Amino acid sequence: MIDIEHIESLAALRLEGEERERIRRDLEEIISYFEILNEVDTEGIEPLVFTKGVQLFLRKDEVKVSLNRQLIEKNRQLFGDGFFRVKRIIGE
Amino acid sequence: MEITKLGIKEISHLIRNKKVSTKEVVSSYLDEIHNKDSLIKAFLSVHEDEALRIAEQLDNENNKTGMLFGVPFAIKDNINVFGFETTAGSKILKGYIAPYNATVVKKIRNHGGIIIGKTNPDEFAMGSSTENSAFFPTKNPINTDYVPGGSSGGSAASVSGGFVPGSLGSDTGGSIRQPAAFCNVVGLKPTYGRVSRYGLIAFSSSLDCIGPITKNVEDAAIMLNVIAGFDENDETTAIIKIPDYTERLKDGVKNVKIGILKEIKDFDVESSVLNALNKAVSKLIDLGAEIVEVSIPHLKYALPAYYIIAPSEASANLSRFDGVRYGLEGEGFNLRDFYEDTRTKGFGREVKRRILIGTFALSEGYYDAYYMKASRVRRLIEQDFEKAFNGVDSILLPTTPTLPFKFGEKKSPLEMYMSDIFTIPVSLAGLPAISVPFGESHNGFRAGMQFIGKWFDEMRLFQYSNALFEEA
Repeated sequence: MIDIEHIESLAALRLEGEERERIRRDLEEIISYFEILNEVDTEGIEPLVFTKGVQLFLRKDEVKVSLNRQLIEKNRQLFGDGFFRVKRIIGE
Repeated sequence: MEITKLGIKEISHLIRNKKVSTKEVVSSYLDEIHNKDSLIKAFLSVHEDEALRIAEQLDNENNKTGMLFGVPFAIKDNINVFGFETTAGSKILKGYIAPYNATVVKKIRNHGGIIIGKTNPDEFAMGSSTENSAFFPTKNPINTDYVPGGSSGGSAASVSGGFVPGSLGSDTGGSIRQPAAFCNVVGLKPTYGRVSRYGLIAFSSSLDCIGPITKNVEDAAIMLNVIAGFDENDETTAIIKIPDYTERLKDGVKNVKIGILKEIKDFDVESSVLNALNKAVSKLIDLGAEIVEVSIPHLKYALPAYYIIAPSEASANLSRFDGVRYGLEGEGFNLRDFYEDTRTKGFGREVKRRILIGTFALSEGYYDAYYMKASRVRRLIEQDFEKAFNGVDSILLPTTPTLPFKFGEKKSPLEMYMSDIFTIPVSLAGLPAISVPFGESHNGFRAGMQFIGKWFDEMRLFQYSNALFEEA
């Protein structure tokens, strides 16, 4: 049985009552379905992250024009020299 | 002449030759949306005034160049369009106004295309029916009792319903191909890295691809001509030349080797879909193709591997939605409470489910057993395809194991996931694939036939699928 409260806390989610029960049941069903992968012998196989033709490259380290304050403020009011406001972090 | 029945190439041609004005074209489509979208609900937002303003501007231009000149498009709502609300079908992004354009949007506009609206997806592109949209489900324009597929269900319905001649969707495990198949239209998932993902709201970064949904194969090729290419804002885009994808459309399938899957009998496929596949095979033989049996031994492991890899990446990608910079703002005395409240209120059930699966698969003690195991199986699937392609030019599979289903019909998440068993393996390998409608109609629905190509070989995909499409 998976520790749903621990996983919720890692994911910054907070489920309650029936929703938590329902999702826990779904997760157990889905995770038990993953067991079929144990049939596959993957000894010595390299994990694949990026498929063929993908060569990650680095951009030149140049300063470029980014989003301006006016555009960001269509979504959130900034304060001071351009800061986002957040809830208090210390001193519960 | 009924403008809303035409394709991209025809419309653009008529405008350039001054047979019709851009404004007339845009107005015709807007009328269609006004008349029918209250029933279909393909759009989350329609930007009528801006579309008409740009249409007028284009009509005043002397130099009418650009492959998409004057043509209206719809964009899936997980793609950023400057100044437009962009929600990805989620309450957590309700009210978010995109401060920049995705590269694909910029490219469509540079070629004279007009964005007229944003289409309804499953929330964060997680789903196969649009039933997971936080706002409303989209109906299938062919029969409104049925789902349009998903997650690009709104984009497929917008083309199938005659609201636009072309749209953009995104495909992580089948989200362009499956809704295209369900709505009797054409959908292309390009090779991973062929089209820039900059400005696409990330779901699973090693799988996500943007691609076109159109009425015919040629229009899909034209759209890929526009949106393909290297982008310095997406470090996974390939530095590979973009050919003219329309070049070989009429070259047919004579002496072409098409692979069909040996293992298909191991899967539960509806008889109507199998009949369409058999009919497609006979048609391709008639047209001169050679049919070869190929094997993808690890195919049945693709679905479980995908449902570990994609949620794992999603759990990381969706951690950015915390209520601080845009979208929904929750409540809470301290920052932690605020994050949790925002995310718990903002995400729907399927998104929560996938975030939790991914968080579990990446958590201490489980990472090797789940995420790494799945990534190794992914390598084996890629190798299977590579071997299969040694003997064939393309592989033909049905896009989906069934024809469209009705709303509420799929009861459990696993049952819904099965809709993507033939599209997911292709995504894991990063291959290109196109779905075209084919075969007899059942209640108006035809099966989707999926041609799978070698990496970066979209050119031949268009060639082969067009041969079948023109016979359909």
